[in-house]
Amino acid sequence: MLIKIAWRNVWRNKGRSLVVIGSIVVGIWALLFMLGFMNGFTVSYINGAIEHEISHIQIHHPKFKQDYDIAYSIPNGLSLKEALSSDPKVAAISPRSFANGMISSTRKANGVRIYGIIPELEKHVTHHDSLLTAGTYFESKQRNPVIIGNELAEELKVDINSKIVLTFQDEDNNLVAGAFRIAGLIETSSPSINKFTAYVKMEDFNRIAGIGQNIHEIALFLSSPNDEAPLMDKLKKEHPDLLIESWRTIAPELELFLSMTDSFLWVLFGIIMIALIFGIINTMLMAVLERYRELGMLMAIGMNKWRVYMMIVIETVFLSLVGGPLGIIIGLATMNWLGIHGIDLSAYSEGLKAYGYDSILYPSIENNIYIFVTIGVIITALIGALYPAYKAIQLNPTKALHTV
Amino acid sequence: METTVAKKIVIKTENIAKTYHESKIPVQALKDVDLEIEEGEFTAIVGPSGSGKTTLLNIIGGLDKPSKGKIIIGDTDISNLKESQLIDFRLHHIGFVFQQYNLIPVLTAKENVEFIMLLQKKSEKEMEERAMKLLKEVGLEDKAKVRPSELSGGQQQRVAVIRALASRPKFILADEPTANLDSASAGNLLDMMARMNREENMTFIFSTHDQRVIDKARRVVTLEDGMIKYDEVR
Ligand SMILES: Nc1ncnc2c1ncn2[C@@H]1O[C@H](COP(=O)(O)OP(=O)(O)OP(=O)(O)O)[C@@H](O)[C@H]1O
Ligand SMILES: [Mg+2]
Repeated sequence: MLIKIAWRNVWRNKGRSLVVIGSIVVGIWALLFMLGFMNGFTVSYINGAIEHEISHIQIHHPKFKQDYDIAYSIPNGLSLKEALSSDPKVAAISPRSFANGMISSTRKANGVRIYGIIPELEKHVTHHDSLLTAGTYFESKQRNPVIIGNELAEELKVDINSKIVLTFQDEDNNLVAGAFRIAGLIETSSPSINKFTAYVKMEDFNRIAGIGQNIHEIALFLSSPNDEAPLMDKLKKEHPDLLIESWRTIAPELELFLSMTDSFLWVLFGIIMIALIFGIINTMLMAVLERYRELGMLMAIGMNKWRVYMMIVIETVFLSLVGGPLGIIIGLATMNWLGIHGIDLSAYSEGLKAYGYDSILYPSIENNIYIFVTIGVIITALIGALYPAYKAIQLNPTKALHTV
Repeated sequence: METTVAKKIVIKTENIAKTYHESKIPVQALKDVDLEIEEGEFTAIVGPSGSGKTTLLNIIGGLDKPSKGKIIIGDTDISNLKESQLIDFRLHHIGFVFQQYNLIPVLTAKENVEFIMLLQKKSEKEMEERAMKLLKEVGLEDKAKVRPSELSGGQQQRVAVIRALASRPKFILADEPTANLDSASAGNLLDMMARMNREENMTFIFSTHDQRVIDKARRVVTLEDGMIKYDEVR
């Protein structure tokens, strides 16, 4: 009966209840939307970096990264690559040789990171074949093809088929150089690839460098992000003499970004819940004051304080139980729709691209967030109910009955 | 020779006084009121405005505490009860009918009648039977499923009276139950209360200003300045 009364009381002042329910719905919806948006941002940023630049795991000679000396190659690199490529956790693997050097056109010269790659393998790791703005991904029969970022091309005032020269130091610190022809231009979300990177075939690079079959880097792209930790453990155990790093250590700013987004979302969650608490307190206080005489009558005829208290609390919880799931359903529907269609941010994408974002954002939310938000709303409602319910039982029945 | 069976006394007040200290000048609303009410009485408390009728009924009903004196109901001295005990005492032993705002607006007439029984934890079946029987007796069985807002003032007060009756209290207190009714409805309500008084042997104590209502009482206690001025049994 208490429950029946509380439920009917919810609908007594329909307008007011709907306002509260509406604000709960909007609050939850906004929360879910923000969560999804931010999460989508983060995920797309991190995935972009993983899929087009860093990959999940990289392997180097332990001294290689100190000054990128061409001498520090991975011992037996290619056979290690063969061994790793049979691991089912590894979806794609790319061996690379590397040097820092200069790229020069007839007009200009620039510092550049030069990668010697095997295109057939590399394209399954960094997927640059999908990011071409001109030319092909090492498909033409030309000799010495090179692929560079579009911004670097602009800088050098070169285009497809233009000739450029790559200069770098070999193992004996002699300068070596080779003439290359631009086969393709790519545009990624990574400024460092767009401005400072050149990809050539490994056979060409290693021939010019005179390093035979040596490689400096092995990049692993995994079948599932969940495989990262176990595979890292295994690799570290099996190859203690190599530097094995996941994207988290290679690009610590991504990890930082992830945790910052996380704390930001918590703050947002807190703010919305606090706003809801005040909304609920306000409404329920009004409901209590409006019903002062009725509550006085109930206490006069023998309804004890505990029951009066519970009646108000249950009523509040009902309000949030109507609003909460509705907000979650609407939020869920919005997320599902946007998860498929995405939000087109191309109007702002010039600015965004500079930070490494894609122009279409796919908001996403992990399922446990919905449960979390539901519980959050119920707890919020309970907290919001405490004060009005306390107010209700403080009243004096005779006075309440005689207030006109 | 007439033999009188000693009637049971349901309410006994001993020298009760009540002073309100809410304003700068204390207001003495009741002064040394001694009153005994026997089972089965149908008694009106009358007197000019401000004479202390409401104060007296509130104290008898355990809604307010006297500044001095004792109130014994049945064999319980309620002046010693704590607030939470008083709520429980009221629930089980005292019926109330107020001038207005008696009913719970979100419940139907029948649910309202059942409400106190529900708080008393009576069985579903007993509540149902008693509520329907009483609604029928006051001619409101066809209004059982209707909410208070769709009832007339007189009908609402009748529901309030049978709600009080349904819980089988020791007596029913009604502070100006007819004040918001037109005179025809007021008469009907009083007739109904009188009938319940006879049929269910329920003790009623009500306050009123209305002479036609006073005429229906069998005992009239007149208050003036917080004291009993007359006490006549007809
Ligand atoms: N809560 C209160 N605080 C202060 N004074 C009060 C309070 N309640 C009643 N009084 C005073 O006590 C006196 C008796 O009031 P009471 O309400 O008992 O009179 P009443 O006979 O019921 O009057 P009425 O016929 O107008 O209802 C009045 O002077 C009133 O002003
Ligand atoms: Mg009065």
